[in-house]
Amino acid sequence: MSRLIKLTHGVAAYVEDTFVSLADEDAIPETGDVILSLSRFQLEGDALLSSNSRKVGVRIEPSEEVEALAYDLPRLALVAVAFPKFRDGRAYTSARLLRERLNYAGEVRAVGDVLQEQAGFMVRCGFDAFVPADGAGPEAWTRAVGRFRHVYQRAADGRPAALEERTA
Amino acid sequence: MYQYDAIDREFLVDRSNEFRGQVQRRLAGELTEDQFKPLRLMNGLYLQLHAYMLRVAIPYGSLNPAQMRRLAWIARTYDKGYGHMTTRQNIQFNWVKLKDAPDILDALAQVDLHAIQTSGNCIRNTTSDPYAGATAEEVDDPRVWCEVIRQWSTLHPEFSYLPRKFKIAVTASARDRTAAKVHDIGLMLRRARDGSLGFEVIVGGGQGRTPHVGPTIKEHLPVGRLLSYLEAVLRVYNRHGRRDNIYKARIKILVAALGAEEFGRQVEEEWAKIDAARADLPDTELARIRGAFAATPFETLPAVSEPFEAARAASPALQRFVRNNVKPHKKPGYAIVEISLKAQGQTPGDATADQLDVVADLAERYGLNDVRVTHAQNLVLPHVKLDDLPAVHAALAAADLATANIDLASDIIACPGLDYCALANARAIGVAQDIAAKFADEDRAETVGELKIKISGCINACGHHHVAHIGILGVDKKGEEFYQLSLGGSGAEDASIGKILGPALPADKVAGAIDTLVEAYLGLRNGEERFLDTYRRVGLEPFKEAVYVQAD
Amino acid sequence: MKAITANRLLDGEVVFWKAGQWVDAFGDAQLFDNDDAAVEAAVATGKGQPTVVVDVYPIDLTPSEGHWAPVSYRERIRALGPTNEPTHGKQAEGGEAIDALRHAAGAARSTGRVDLIRRK
Repeated sequence: MSRLIKLTHGVAAYVEDTFVSLADEDAIPETGDVILSLSRFQLEGDALLSSNSRKVGVRIEPSEEVEALAYDLPRLALVAVAFPKFRDGRAYTSARLLRERLNYAGEVRAVGDVLQEQAGFMVRCGFDAFVPADGAGPEAWTRAVGRFRHVYQRAADGRPAALEERTA
Repeated sequence: MYQYDAIDREFLVDRSNEFRGQVQRRLAGELTEDQFKPLRLMNGLYLQLHAYMLRVAIPYGSLNPAQMRRLAWIARTYDKGYGHMTTRQNIQFNWVKLKDAPDILDALAQVDLHAIQTSGNCIRNTTSDPYAGATAEEVDDPRVWCEVIRQWSTLHPEFSYLPRKFKIAVTASARDRTAAKVHDIGLMLRRARDGSLGFEVIVGGGQGRTPHVGPTIKEHLPVGRLLSYLEAVLRVYNRHGRRDNIYKARIKILVAALGAEEFGRQVEEEWAKIDAARADLPDTELARIRGAFAATPFETLPAVSEPFEAARAASPALQRFVRNNVKPHKKPGYAIVEISLKAQGQTPGDATADQLDVVADLAERYGLNDVRVTHAQNLVLPHVKLDDLPAVHAALAAADLATANIDLASDIIACPGLDYCALANARAIGVAQDIAAKFADEDRAETVGELKIKISGCINACGHHHVAHIGILGVDKKGEEFYQLSLGGSGAEDASIGKILGPALPADKVAGAIDTLVEAYLGLRNGEERFLDTYRRVGLEPFKEAVYVQAD
Repeated sequence: MKAITANRLLDGEVVFWKAGQWVDAFGDAQLFDNDDAAVEAAVATGKGQPTVVVDVYPIDLTPSEGHWAPVSYRERIRALGPTNEPTHGKQAEGGEAIDALRHAAGAARSTGRVDLIRRK
């Protein structure tokens, strides 16, 4: 079982994962934090959140529009954005929109085929939690943040782009 | 020319180090081939038939002499002494070893060159007009906007795992030398009636299995809004482009499925939501980039050069070269010189290391340190004084680089084909050489006039056969090479997709069939009509008739 | 008759299977005569060496001038080198086995036997 890595102020570390990711057919446990699919959240989310005793996260698949969560985001502890394959780049758009358009400040977690070689892109798009599929540890994610001394775009990580460095 | 600063340089060093680590991890078995392949592709490294092939970007087709000499050095050190110019302003080395690739990237980075995003499902090298900054036709310098796009698209965090590859071309002239209408995005700079600069934005052109001339989705995008608009187009594509079928994953399929109008509407909707202040380039950065291109040190010269006129009058060879390879320059006393890489018997687009060095020397001595590569696989010295033309011509001739055939029948575009490429179904090089030999008589080639023959060794269409006056597509029939001919395509401002002439021909019949088509054209043409014009007037039938008759 | 081919990971060189080793020359390749089980076993072994070779697969062969040659034209080009540069690649070595590859006809090379066009 892969362990959860969390990025805080540019440093990645293992953290305890209090969430259970539920398939749609799984029964909801009595207690504990859960991650639901978008469709299940839309059906059962209100009831779960009103109990107020646990945190709820939503798992977004690539074909789902993250904008559907716009009104619920303040109530969500995390959004898990899924990479069914590492080559499926829709998750990057989902993460950026969560951060930059919907101003989501909670955890954005990369789940699925999550590989360290893509870590740099993920961090720039606003992911701050990772469940690596390749067993990579926190050092790989910390390295990914600092791999390039410069970046050319403004993105969700707030790093100054080259054009801003030039006028600094 | 744009000069890399410390930021650009450190970026290339970091990129090269990253790839060195990835190669080590692959060799150590920590990365599978499946995981490694997209990483090496995004660094331009393919595994071809005989070896790895490294595709080096020549951003918007522009090189300085030091870069040219470094490419020559790489050809000698890591290849077999030659490089191949591609149809998208890149250069390929055919005999690269994986273990050497990181060293080659280091050597490239030292002269501000790289192979970033020359392959993979990301935004590729932006192509542009090889006459940029030299032609009087242009309304602005397209290289400025290409450099803006280069920086924006380099390791773009959101758009590096697109459904499929993504190619952008920028032109600022009415005559299109970039094939903009068959790109994923073609940007054509135009000046509006009020004098404002804008881009006509063409989206969803392309070749390959389903060729499309791209529709215009925006007539006049104010230039300052370029990056936010590109972000909107790419985001719509990244989210909605098909990922279930590699053959239907290009943006052209999405645009065709939605219709240009609906696609354009979705882009506008997304564009309206983007924070322009963050997405668009600040005027200060634009001015910095523009300044780098404005500084070409032209001299004030008379429009007519007496030494040149005297040399020309004395040399029929120079006359022919000037007729075909020399184009008017925006500055009096200067000319644009095209260098053909299509000599008789040559592999189209190949240049030896020695030839690259000769061109570097000429650019340094006579050409304001500027060399261009064209999508037609030739080279250009964009700024040569008329006074120096005789000397440049003589030096080119001595290096077997003075073939006077630009845009003529022997100036054939050909992909590497089955001689090198792992995707190819048939060879392209040998067929090109056979056809060129039919037009070895230079007088005949000039009589025929502009005729763009383009050959692809498979349906991926790297040889641009769909947009050729005469296109040739290699196909495999039960293990044999056959070639399908098509007529009437154009990749220029009058873009069109060619129509298939008839059943595919065996390899040894192709050159003869081209000869027959040309003879038919010569019999049909009115006045100065080009082959393409005659075809458009008379249609396919007379040509079909000429090539095929009923078998007994 | 079959042989087994791959590209070497380190340099991309075309290689052929020979009794547990990978050799550069097609002429040195191990030939498998109607022994599908042996081919499958060797291919499986090759696929189990991902840090040595990539793209392991068997190829069909046909007789040529007393030697064997791949049926497919693509495979003959892999075994020889590019036809536009006859001194580049494996073909540079020359010799009987190379000549046999060059002259092989099989189903592959464009023979022109399908005469689709007749001149008026």
